[in-house]
Amino acid sequence: MQDERFGIQKEMYRGQQYSQIYFARLHLMRTMLYSLIPNWKVHLPVCTVLGLEEGKECIIVGTIYKHMKLKPSILDEYSKERSTTPLVKPHNFVSSDDYLVLEDESGRVKLCGALLLPSVFVTGIVVALHGKETGAGDFMVEDILEAGFPHQIERPLVSGEDKYVVFVSGLSVGGSSSNPLQFQLFIDHITGHLGDEKEQSFAARIVQVVVAGNSVEYPRTLLNGQNLSSKDQSRLSEPIKELDILLTQIAAGIPLDIMPGPDDPANFSLPQQALHRCLFPGSSAFNTFRSCSNPHSFELDNVSFLGTSGQNIDDLEKYSDASDKLGFMERTLRWRHLAPTAPNTLGCYPFTDRDPFFIETCPHVYFVGNQEKYQSRLIKGSEGQVVRLICIPRFVETGTAVVLNMRNLECHTVSFGAEFST
Amino acid sequence: MASSSDMKGFFRQKKKTTVGRGVGKSKANKAASFKKSKNSAFVGTDQVQPPALISHGALDLQDDYDSKEEILRQFDMSMAYGPCLGMTRLDRWERAKALGLNPPKDVERLLRAEKVNAQCLWDGRI
Repeated sequence: MQDERFGIQKEMYRGQQYSQIYFARLHLMRTMLYSLIPNWKVHLPVCTVLGLEEGKECIIVGTIYKHMKLKPSILDEYSKERSTTPLVKPHNFVSSDDYLVLEDESGRVKLCGALLLPSVFVTGIVVALHGKETGAGDFMVEDILEAGFPHQIERPLVSGEDKYVVFVSGLSVGGSSSNPLQFQLFIDHITGHLGDEKEQSFAARIVQVVVAGNSVEYPRTLLNGQNLSSKDQSRLSEPIKELDILLTQIAAGIPLDIMPGPDDPANFSLPQQALHRCLFPGSSAFNTFRSCSNPHSFELDNVSFLGTSGQNIDDLEKYSDASDKLGFMERTLRWRHLAPTAPNTLGCYPFTDRDPFFIETCPHVYFVGNQEKYQSRLIKGSEGQVVRLICIPRFVETGTAVVLNMRNLECHTVSFGAEFST
Repeated sequence: MASSSDMKGFFRQKKKTTVGRGVGKSKANKAASFKKSKNSAFVGTDQVQPPALISHGALDLQDDYDSKEEILRQFDMSMAYGPCLGMTRLDRWERAKALGLNPPKDVERLLRAEKVNAQCLWDGRI
């Protein structure tokens, strides 16, 4: 399992700041971009930001910083003049005034030119830019080189049977809107206890279940810092106990991977560490049960999977625009970075010597959990990479899980309803 | 500030002796509590040193650091190898090597073999 890179057990906090992870990221990606530049534009000099000369056409490589007027800042509380513009929109902080800056260790330069749309980019991406410095001291961009999809190990062409991987997320067990019957129906279906022979033979071909985050929901009123009575304490442990009972039924028959999400009892910042086995006394007895980190990277039968519980894409949605969630996912692959906005607006561990969110090899399946609705697309890279993108909808809201056929990377959904219409 | 040095050494311990530290300070007591401390800028009084001037348990007036420390401080301040705060010098050297930056071998030799300060020059001061 390739999740070692997301573990923080060996890390030790020595008072480092986030400049360390940005340095590691810049160097990692700049070295990689330098190797791509000769194929892109040969004969152009590459220089640092401080080495820019007015009018000299060149290539610079650095980290993008996006200045956003509407981005909430703690310092706004202290500003003497409060503007009359309304309070920030909670969902998206993009404004037409945003501008981009490129930064490396020597300095930073403001970017201009019609090519770079600020609404597409976010702080934290490393790119190469071709252009020249203007009289005003800005850098006029003529062309941009992004890292592009990483190299993908080709899948051997398989003929033969269908094998299915089932994705589900946002179970929110223990929450007020979760319907236990709905999830029980799902479990019965995938373990082959429901349906006719055709359904059962489908269930027999399921080789893996992945639960992508937000599996429990705690009653918020208990989490306000007050001392808890013993009755409330047992109420606090109900959701996870209920989840364990449900997951045991799955783990008894099918390999199960569970990832933590933003609402689960795991650490807040990425990479989230695996939920502890003591939370799952029933399911962890089975060797089919695997508690995994978020992000989660694994391989099954020569198909490589990479996915998160949604925080990386949701954060991109707040600070940039795209036509749909799949658009954000494709961008993260093109930028070769799972979570470019970390640590700027997305909580992240302050690594000093590496950046574990750098995508080294292209996955065949890239999934994101806890989304509003199911979406999926098969995208192709410039070197023949083929990636199945999947947005997994929240089960508590939609009753829908996603099924992927590993033979042909095709996707469909299964939905469960437990409402009786009157 | 996270510093791996002993926190006790950071804040100067008071009351090392009971002599001359009575409640009422008379001139006689002051004379008795005269302490000869080297490098002290306050010889002759028992005024407590403000903590800011004390680093690693010793008064920070060490102007004559040796040439080895000078090489290491140059390494710390070099922009090419990234920020120095929050990492031991050896970790930073290893990171520079792993990223292909060719850090000077002298620095590695000093850090591994000789008795030098493992932390960067800002450690405990910021």
